[in-house]
Amino acid sequence: MMTGMDRLVAAIKGEKADRIPVFCNLLDQGAKELGLVSLYDYYQSGEYVAEGQLKMREKYGYDNVWSLFYVGKEAELLGCRKILFSPDGPPNVEHFVIQSYDDIHRLEIPDDITHHPVFVEELKCLQILKREVGGRYPICGYVTAAMALPALLMGMDKWFELLFMGPPEVRDELLAKCSLFCQRHIAALRELGVDVIVYANPFGSTDFVPLPYIIKTGIPWMKQDLSAGTQGIVYYCGGARFNQVIEAIISQIGIETYYLSPLDDIAAGKQIINGRGLTCGVINDIKLIDWSEEQIRQEVKRMLEAGMAGGKFLFGTILMPYKIPERNIRAMLDTVYEFGQC
Amino acid sequence: MMLEKVIAAYSEAVFDTDRDKAFEVIHDAIAQGVTPEEIVFKVVIPSMEMMIKAISEDFDANLAQHFMASQIASQVTDEMVARFQTSPETIGRVVIGTSYADLHTLGKRIVSGCLRSLMIDVIDLGVNVSAERFVAAALEHDAGIIAISSMMVHTARSERGCLAVRQLLKERGLEDRIKIIVGGAPYTWDTELYKVVRADAWASDGISAGKVIKDLIEGMHK
Ligand code: B12
Repeated sequence: MMTGMDRLVAAIKGEKADRIPVFCNLLDQGAKELGLVSLYDYYQSGEYVAEGQLKMREKYGYDNVWSLFYVGKEAELLGCRKILFSPDGPPNVEHFVIQSYDDIHRLEIPDDITHHPVFVEELKCLQILKREVGGRYPICGYVTAAMALPALLMGMDKWFELLFMGPPEVRDELLAKCSLFCQRHIAALRELGVDVIVYANPFGSTDFVPLPYIIKTGIPWMKQDLSAGTQGIVYYCGGARFNQVIEAIISQIGIETYYLSPLDDIAAGKQIINGRGLTCGVINDIKLIDWSEEQIRQEVKRMLEAGMAGGKFLFGTILMPYKIPERNIRAMLDTVYEFGQC
Repeated sequence: MMLEKVIAAYSEAVFDTDRDKAFEVIHDAIAQGVTPEEIVFKVVIPSMEMMIKAISEDFDANLAQHFMASQIASQVTDEMVARFQTSPETIGRVVIGTSYADLHTLGKRIVSGCLRSLMIDVIDLGVNVSAERFVAAALEHDAGIIAISSMMVHTARSERGCLAVRQLLKERGLEDRIKIIVGGAPYTWDTELYKVVRADAWASDGISAGKVIKDLIEGMHK
């Protein structure tokens, strides 16, 4: 019986396996799995989150587990004091650490993330995941790129204002601090045995900024974020499109895995990557709420037909909304298991 | 002739997200005798309308351009309106906010900027706005449109979000007087979703929102 790790390694090497790897990103759903009513309670405990991840992976049979609780955790490591919890959706940053430019000068980047009090539960979660499935199922971690992290610290609109209209020295001071945090965060996750690091940077997408801007300004910051190497790094723009950017990223940074946008053309993306790395075809999981099982089968088949030829391909979701019915999750997975055999 | 050159130079500056240049063009025109009224009605609005047209014809603008266009246009409009001879007629009034339990502001800010520059009055209710507040504010300000922005699926589909606004409008017999428009990531990823949450309309970006809202307002006046 092949493990998720066997499948991933085979896909990276372009070798045969029983089927393509499947990354199904269920986070909040873990609470339901443990019979907890409150997402707040669920996220207070690393044991809960680890158990939720392990149970869901076993139940559905996909190939990855997550150490990520919710993205706002990064803001908490940097001083955010309030997160808004909902009964049926992901937690959100409510308190913004940066309210003025002075707060940017004052922002301190913790030098030891692993032993940071805010990180205690994630640490527990990671240790359990490592103990239970380490080496057999890839453990995924999530890191926000320097250019996107300010959105969590000051809100996206204040960040746009500073980035495009504000004083350059303040902007660069913030970016430098965020990049330092990003590097330390990556180092901490690696040290704790995370295999796959999803490097999230919506500003690496042409839906956000023009390609010349990405090349001139975005890539230098990405290089700094990833100065310790691109091993295990996955390029991901939060679901925004980036086919036009791939060539520049491969030639200038050398990242080897691309987690496309559901709106990117999979075959075109794969052609650009052209054997130099792994392509992940990603489903528009927001539609999984209302699509029928038959529509889901058709869509998955279409994606596999576009991406499977020539190998080095995996199937993925974004962050699956809580409302997706279980039978639709199964319909998606069963179709990949059936038609994703290599 | 002079105005055509101003429109071209201004539109180019906006397209290049060059705010300083855009203001320079406007200030030069004023110095040469163009009136603030002409700037708004014959430069800013036509330029916005050109962008609406370009986008509807599948021109690939990115978010930085939407953001800068909305910011520049609304700032120019604010500055010019302050210099108008008589206070301007608006074509309609909108109350806008982020839906209940949602804290994301960028989409709302872009939409508001575009509407202001089209001379649509915007009252911003902020984030995490309850259905009751949306309706109360629309009545208080005599607004014909409630605009609701959501970044996440659960806040778009929530029983306490747009669906609750619809319920209140229905209960109070306000459905002919007040229309609901929604937008934000969940709607762009699922273009049928606006019907599920029982909104009257949706738009995929701030610039198109200007057109859709203008159409809604004009439809109500008929
Ligand atoms: C950038 C981004 C991020 C950034 C910054 C987020 C932020 N603002 O704080 C980062 C990487 C930090 C991030 C984090 C998260 N994100 Co995010 N993110 C995105 C992304 C790529 C773009 C969102 C954005 O800011 N767009 C820019 C704004 C301006 O666009 P907009 O809001 O859509 O607005 C435009 C139009 O929609 C329209 N519009 C907007 N409002 C209105 C209103 C009206 C009335 C009208 C007419 C039009 C209109 O006009 C606007 C201008 O053109 C989207 C995916 C995508 N490509 O859309 C995911 C997305 C929004 N994120 C998502 C999620 C889930 C999250 C997290 C909750 C994940 C988690 N579990 O922690 C966190 C939340 C972080 C927090 N706040 O605490 C999901 C939401 C869907 C869902 N599953 O519910 C999305 C859709 C990705 C996905 N497909 O799964 N994210």
